[in-house]
Parts: sequence; structure tokens; C-alpha cells
Amino acid sequence: MAAFTEEHVDVNGIDTAVFTAGEGDPLVFLAGAGTAPGFDGLLPLADQFRLILPHHSGFGSSADDTSITRIEDYVLHYLDLFDVLALDEVSIVGHSIGATMAAWLAIYDPRRVRRLVLAAPYGLRVPEHPTIDFFSLNDDEIAGYLANDMSVYSHYPNPPTPEFLALLYREGTSFARIGWERNYDLKLHKWLHRLTMPTLLLWGTADRLIPSEQASAWAELIPEAEVRTVPDAGHLLFNESQEAVSAVADFVGAEVAV
Amino acid sequence: MPTVDDIKLYFFHHHHYIDVRENSDVKSTWVVPPGDLYDPKKGHELYKRHLRTIKLADQLDFDGICINEHHNTVYSMTPATSLMGAVIATNTVNTPKIMVAGVPINLTSPNRLAEEYGMLDVMSGGRMEYAFPLGTGMEYWSNSGAVNPTRGRAQFRESVDILLKAWQADGPIRYEGDFYNYRFLNPWPKPFQKPYPKLFVVGSGSLETVELAIDYDLGYSIVFIPIPAQIRAFERMREVAEERGKTVDPDDLIIVVICYVADTDEEAIREARPHIETFFSWFHRVPPKFLLPPGYVSTSEFLRRASDPALAHGTEASWDDMVAIGRIACGSPQTVADTITTWCEEAGVGRVNVVLELGDMPEWKTVKNMNMFANEVMPRIRARGKEATVTETRELVGVD
Repeated sequence: MAAFTEEHVDVNGIDTAVFTAGEGDPLVFLAGAGTAPGFDGLLPLADQFRLILPHHSGFGSSADDTSITRIEDYVLHYLDLFDVLALDEVSIVGHSIGATMAAWLAIYDPRRVRRLVLAAPYGLRVPEHPTIDFFSLNDDEIAGYLANDMSVYSHYPNPPTPEFLALLYREGTSFARIGWERNYDLKLHKWLHRLTMPTLLLWGTADRLIPSEQASAWAELIPEAEVRTVPDAGHLLFNESQEAVSAVADFVGAEVAV
Repeated sequence: MPTVDDIKLYFFHHHHYIDVRENSDVKSTWVVPPGDLYDPKKGHELYKRHLRTIKLADQLDFDGICINEHHNTVYSMTPATSLMGAVIATNTVNTPKIMVAGVPINLTSPNRLAEEYGMLDVMSGGRMEYAFPLGTGMEYWSNSGAVNPTRGRAQFRESVDILLKAWQADGPIRYEGDFYNYRFLNPWPKPFQKPYPKLFVVGSGSLETVELAIDYDLGYSIVFIPIPAQIRAFERMREVAEERGKTVDPDDLIIVVICYVADTDEEAIREARPHIETFFSWFHRVPPKFLLPPGYVSTSEFLRRASDPALAHGTEASWDDMVAIGRIACGSPQTVADTITTWCEEAGVGRVNVVLELGDMPEWKTVKNMNMFANEVMPRIRARGKEATVTETRELVGVD
């Protein structure tokens, strides 16, 4: 199987780590608010696509930028990155907070996005099925809210080392810069009609953090949304289920196959 | 190191909610203590007791009375410390200074605090001093909607800037900041003392708060952290001051001392120890998550704290650990006077916030401790090597 190649790109002064694998049409993956679970589960996508996985500023191998305080700052950061990488038209998979970034990027610049996958997306306010507030969770509860299959943590140091805790603290800080105030976006629902590209809403049925029941609320607001659920997968669906990864390949590759 | 000519002793009071027995089911007495632990009838009696204590302090020749503010916690019944400041200002007559230490300025509107503190200073006839706390990590959870902890320090700095400009200018003035935009900044009333009362930052010695203090010519009040860390913070403060052509006077630095005085060292420890242990194990029961909300400290500072076993297991410290790392002075009058004097000289500090009631201490011990401290320790500290006039025969001042 292919492996990721890491390169570092200067994006308007921010040292940005970009992991790539495979060749073909560009498929950008915007991750959730943590790099610790890892991304190797996505590598089968490199069989079909040029998989491009940047680490968000303030996460993993990318530098911090304390001036990023809103989701829109990440959107503009990624439009900058696309320019640097000369990516005119891309398909995007966003997971969790990365799905919020992907949705907003596609709202602002819909012509640039061929196909869009929003996996367990964060940010819509659905009072009947609310998103669990990550910041309110006790430290010992977080793992169980994020994953249904606890084996996804088998590579974590146990007991956690100070360095590992510091990595989590740094990424928690970066998430808090854009997400501390509330776990829903006050304006997202108003603009989702601009997602006119083929869009897949992908969700694990065992997602305890952002319930899969939110999928229908998203689907009602997006003109051409397809909903697919992955049985028994939790919020970390791509770490937990190859079916989730295959669903992305099927959906993004469908157009190629036609 | 400057010579410490004069040591000012402030009576420091926490206003604990003390009528709750330690309960192992309660994992945190901060942020999320079960609300049904609070009984307003007991609370009312405790406010009356605390006021008796303050009035007693007013009769005991302290240089000042100091109070602070915390939220969502059995540790404190003063989530609105300016209110308590007003009560103290109007219920004391002898104590020269009252320090409110203080409202976390970034959790309120800086303009409103300029008004509130100006009002208090006028009401008190110019007896106020103020210290600005960054706020513990817990305050950022308790006031989650008010400020993002990743921007807490920046908002703190801007807030101090606003308050000082508002106090010094003949308003109205305009202020265009990152966090606040004031079209008509014009607090009314302004402070009684000109240009404004003596001010401090309350902090744990981070470079950010030290630099803030030097930049704005504020004093520094160090929180209850291990003594070597306090010494390092003050050294850092003098270094930063020197780099900027400024000086730090002993009167600009405050330490907090937990103190219990009895006839002998053994008696003091025997009477105080259970309450001090309860203070740390119950009143200061805080999980690490609440101490360090995201972005409250830098990642490198987080790593330093996570790597330090003493810091990582603070609430499980033994008595010997507590005495070894913290400023706890329990003993005979001579022992306590010598300990406090030595600490001040070592740290170059001219101000001490003396904590004489702690944890679940019964009122009789508080009264005895305060009297012993005032009658037998204060004269020894003030004499500083000269022949002390110790008023050992002075009548014990009690309560109503």
C-alpha cells in the first residue's frame, strides 16, 4: 500500500505540513480537531486519487497561528494553500470540524469543489439531537465519546506521557481558538443552499459526539445531498471502519466511472 | 536584591463556604460542586461570621485587609468581590488600606470595573488598593461564555490598558481595541486617590503577567505556588524591570502566608494542621482539566507542569509536602515572626497577605489566632531585630 509523503509549504507565512499519497484527481482531506488517532486508514484512497491531507495550523506537524480565531480563517488559509499547490478544482472530504471548514469553503467558492463529502460534520445547530460539548467532557470520558471501537487507541502511550498530553493540549487549544464559545455555527444553516455540488453526508451510526440523526437536518438544507451511514462506527469513523473509507471512494469516484 | 525596610501585614480573607463536610463523592469543589451543597441559611450565618472577623481585624492594627474573588466554588462566598469591598469599606474605621484582589478584569467590562473601583475608592475616602487577577483556570470554565481562555491573557492586557487610560484621562475618550471599542469612555466617578490607587497584578509568575506588571508600573502579588517558583518569579520581575530601566520596590511585591500562632510550635501545628489539610484536600479539590483550560497556558508551560510530579498531584500532597513547598508558618510567635521576616528578606518582598482563617477552622481558633498574631507576631516583625515591644498582656479582643 502507498505511504504518505510529508512536505512543508509556506502558506502566507504559516509553515503548513501537507501529506500526500497516490496519483490521479486531487482529493483533499480536511481532518477533525486532532491528529493523534492518525490517518493511515485513509491510504486506500491513494489507489484511486491524489490524496492531499494538510495538517491544520495548530495541529500535528503544522505551525501555530494564533491569529486564526474563526472557521473562516481556516477556509481562507486553505484557499491560499490551493493556490500555492495550483489546485483549481478539487473534491474535498471533511471530517468533524474539518467538515465545517469544507462546507464553508464550498459555500464561498462552490465552483472550485467538484464533489464534497461531509463526514460526521460539526457545526449545525440541531436542538433535537445536539452535538455533545467536547470541552465539557471529563478527560476519562473523551475516548468513549470519540470512538465506538476502542482499539483505535492501541498506539497511544499508556499511561500517557507528558509529551503526549502536551500534544493533546496544543490541539485542544487550537480547537478552542475557533470553537470555545459554542459547538454550533450560528450562520451555517443560512448558506448551505449554496452547496450545489454532489454532496455526501457520511455518518457512523454509533457516533456519540455528533449524533447521526443530525444527517437529515443537513440533508434538508443541501440541494443534492446523499446520506450514507456506517453501521457501528463512532465519531472516528475513518479509523474505525474501512467501509467508511470505501464509501468515500465510491462517491468521489462515481463521476470518473461514468 | 533591595533591602526590605518595612513589612506591611494585610489580613487576608477567603470567605470560604465552610459548613460542608468533606465528601469523597464530590470530585471537584470548583466549577461543578453539586449545587445542593449550598444552604443559603448557613450562607447567611457565614456572611455574618465573616463580617465579625473583618471587624475584629479592623481592631488589630493590620496595615490592610485583603479579599479576593472566585466563582462556582465552596472555596469562596465572594464571586462579586467589589460588593464585599463596599461592605468592608463601610464597616471598618482603623485599617489604613483595603485591597480588593480582585475582579478578573477580562471577565467583566473594563469600563464597568473602572466605574466600580472608582466608586469604591471615593466611598472609602481613598483607602482602596486593587489587584488584577488573570483568574485561575477554573474561572474560565465558570465564566465560559465571557472569555475564550486562548485569548484570556490578551484580553486581560487590553482591559488593564483601558481601565488605566479611562482613569487618567479627562474624558470622554475613544478606545479602539481588539476586544473592546468604546465610543465614550468616561467613568464616573474617578478614583479618590490621584492619579489612581496602588495597583497590582495577581499571577503565578508567567512571563506575560510579569511583563504586564512592569509595562504598566503595577506591583505583583504572587499566588500560592511553591516557594522556589515564587522566588524565580520575583527575580524575573526585577530582570524585566532592569531591562526597561525601571525598578521594583519591596512594596511592589506581595506574598501570601498561611499562618497559625500558638504558645508553642507543637500546639500551633496540632491546632492548625487538620484545617490546613482540609483546605488543600477539600477546598482546593480541582482536577487538572479545570486548572488548565485550553490555551490558558502555552504548550511548553503545560508540558513543564505535566512533567512535574509535585504540580501534577497537588491536591494529594502530604503535610510535609505542603510545608516544604508552600508558605505555611505555624508555630510560636517567635517562630512565625522569624519565618515571615526571613521569607520577606529572601524574596525582597515588603508585603504579606496573612491568611489566619483557613479551611474548616472554628471561629474560636480564628479569633485566638488573629489575636496572637496581632499581639505577639506583628510587633516582632515590625521591630525587625530591634527590641520588640510585645504586648503579651494585652486583652484578647473578641467578638460581639
